[in-house]
Amino acid sequence: MKTRSDIPLEASYSAPDGSGENPGEFPFTRGRKPNPHSGSWIQRELSGEGDARRSNEQIRYLLEHGQNGIDFIGDAATQSMLDPDHPLTRASVGTQGASLCRKQDYLELFEGVSFDGISVSTSVPAPFALAGLTLAAREKDFPLDQLRGSVLQPPLYMEDCAYAWHVPVEVRIRMALDSIEYCTRHMPRYYGYLEDTYFFAESGLTPVEEIALGFIQLRLIVRRMIERGVDVDSFAPRIAMLVDCGMDFYEEVAKIRATRRLYAKMMRDEFSAKNDRSQSLTITSHTSGLSLTAQQPANNIVRGTMQALSLIMGGVQALEISAFDEAFRTPSKEAHLLGLRTQQIADLESGVARVADPFGGSYFMEQLTDEMESRIRSRIDEIEVLGDAEELCRQGFFRDIFHRAMEDSHRLVENGELPIVGVNVHQLAEEDDTLLRDVASGKIDPVHEHTERVEKFRQSRDISKTCEGLARIKQAMQSSDNLVEAIVSAMDADATVGEIVTVIRRSVGIESDPFDQPLPEEM
Amino acid sequence: MTQEVVALAVMGIDQHENGVMAVSRVLMESQIQVEYLGTCQTPESVAEKAIARDADVIGISCHSWEYLTLVPQLLEELKRRASPIDVIIGGSVITREDALIMKDAGVAEVFTSSTENFDMVECVRQLSADRSNRL
Repeated sequence: MKTRSDIPLEASYSAPDGSGENPGEFPFTRGRKPNPHSGSWIQRELSGEGDARRSNEQIRYLLEHGQNGIDFIGDAATQSMLDPDHPLTRASVGTQGASLCRKQDYLELFEGVSFDGISVSTSVPAPFALAGLTLAAREKDFPLDQLRGSVLQPPLYMEDCAYAWHVPVEVRIRMALDSIEYCTRHMPRYYGYLEDTYFFAESGLTPVEEIALGFIQLRLIVRRMIERGVDVDSFAPRIAMLVDCGMDFYEEVAKIRATRRLYAKMMRDEFSAKNDRSQSLTITSHTSGLSLTAQQPANNIVRGTMQALSLIMGGVQALEISAFDEAFRTPSKEAHLLGLRTQQIADLESGVARVADPFGGSYFMEQLTDEMESRIRSRIDEIEVLGDAEELCRQGFFRDIFHRAMEDSHRLVENGELPIVGVNVHQLAEEDDTLLRDVASGKIDPVHEHTERVEKFRQSRDISKTCEGLARIKQAMQSSDNLVEAIVSAMDADATVGEIVTVIRRSVGIESDPFDQPLPEEM
Repeated sequence: MTQEVVALAVMGIDQHENGVMAVSRVLMESQIQVEYLGTCQTPESVAEKAIARDADVIGISCHSWEYLTLVPQLLEELKRRASPIDVIIGGSVITREDALIMKDAGVAEVFTSSTENFDMVECVRQLSADRSNRL
C-alpha cells in the first residue's frame, strides 16, 4: 500500500517509542484487528420493497453492482410482526420494505442468491428473520453453520421507537435471549445479537445518550444470558453493535473509539470474558436518516458522504449510507446505487481506509475519546442506579427520554442553534428547489396482489400441519424450549408471523388484543 | 375566547412520532390544547375520538404513504358522522402534487417541512374560529 507519490504506508501507526495502544490490542480503542486492509468493511445498502420477489430483484441488482453484503428490512407490517392482510397494515404493504410473513416469502427473497462468501444481515424482528434464513438455507442445502450476518435486537426500546410494541417487554427479552442461544447452537458464525442504537438514536438523542442507552440494553441481555448459565465466552463473540452516525464529524469518530473501549473493559472486568473475541466489539453502522432534509435533497448526498467518512475513520466493520431521498420515501434504485457508489469511491479512490485508526494519537481525538467514554459511563451508572432496565421500560422511563430528545432536537433546529443548510440557513425558494426532486418524489404503491396471495394461501395450506406447528409455539411458551427453534417448525408448517405472535401473546395472557391475527379454526 | 382544541394522530401502522411531537409542542406553547390520540389509529378511531373530545381541528401526521389511502377514508368517516371538523395533514412525505390531490379531496390545509410555526398556529386558530362560527 502506498500514496500517489509512492510513499509506502503501514497498516497502522503508533508512537515512535512503541508506547501507547496499538490496533488489535485491549481495550481495542484503535480497532478490533491489528491489520485491517483496504475495503475491509462490508459495503451494503438497506433494501426491501414490495413483495419478496421484488425485493429479490433489488438484492440481485445491488450485488451485481458490487455490494458485498445484504441487509434487508421488512415493511411496516413485517417489522410489527403482523401479516399483510391485517386491517391496520393493508394500506402500507410493501411500501417501506419487503412483506415477509411466511416461509414462501423467505424462499422467494433469496431465490438465486448465493449465501457463499456473503453476509446476510437483516432488520426484520430477530426470531422470524432467523427462522426465515434457516428455512432458506435448508432449501439451498447451504450449511447453517456457515451462514454469516447479523440480526438486530431492540428488546427494551421496541415499544417506544419501533414497531411491535404490542408484544410485552418480557417476551421481547426472551426472544432476544433465545435468538442468541439459537445462533450459538446452530449458526455459530452469525451475530445473533446486534445491539441496534441506530433506530432509537434517530429520536434525536445525543451520541452520548445513544451509546449509554445501547449499553443499558446490552448489559441487561448479557446478565440474563449469564443467569441462564451460558458461558459468557460462548456467546459474547456473537454480539455486535449497530450505531447511528450524525453530522458532528469528530464526535462520531470518538464515539466509535470510546464504544469499543467501554465494551472491552465491561466484558473483561464486569462479565469476566476471557477471549479477545469476546472483548473486541464488531461495530456496524448506518448514516443518519434524521439528518437528511426534504429541502434541497441533493445536499443529502454530501451529508451521507461526510458521515460515512466518520464511520470509516472510526473503523467500522460494515456500513450503510441512508439514501438521499429518505426524507421523502423508501429509497429509490438511483439513491441505493449512489449510496453504494459513495462507499466504493471512499474505499477505492480516496484510500481513507488504508490505515487503521488514522486519528490515533491525535491530542484532540484522544481527549475527545476519553471524554466520551467518561460521559457515557456516567450516564450508564446514573440509569442503572434507578433500577432494573426491564422495570424502567415498563414505567415508561425510556419513552420519556425519547420524547424529550424529539422535542429538543426540533428546538435546536428552530432556534438556529443547530445550523442545517437549506432548513434554517441558506434556504432556497420552493420553486427553485428542483435538483433531484423528481427522484425523491417517486412513490411505491401498496402491493394489494400480495395481500390477496396471502389470503388465498391461508385457505390452500395443510391446516392440520399448520396447527401442529402453532402448537409447538404454545409448548415453547409454556416451557424453556427455544422459541426460535419452535418458530422454525411453525413457519416450516406454513404458519404466518401474525399467527405465531397471536399464539405467543395469548400464552402470556393477552387474550383480546386488537392485533390478534385470527387463528385457523382447529387451533 | 375559548381555547382551541386540536386532535393529533398518526394513522395506520406508521410509528414515526418525531413530527407529531414537534407540532404538538409548537401548538401547546401557543396555548392551543392538544389531544394526542397516538399511533395505530384508524379513520374510524380518529373520527370517534376527535368528536368525543370536541376537537376543533384534526391534525394527521404523515410519514408513510398510507395517508393517501387513510386520509380520504377519514374525511369520508367525518362526513358520515356529519361532523364539521377540519382536517390538516403534515409531513415531509407529502409531495406538492399529492398536497393538491388531498386538498381536492377535502383536506383543509397541508403543512410541509418548510411551514413556519407561526403559520401553523395561525391556521389552526383560523380553522377553529371558522368552526365556532359555523356551530
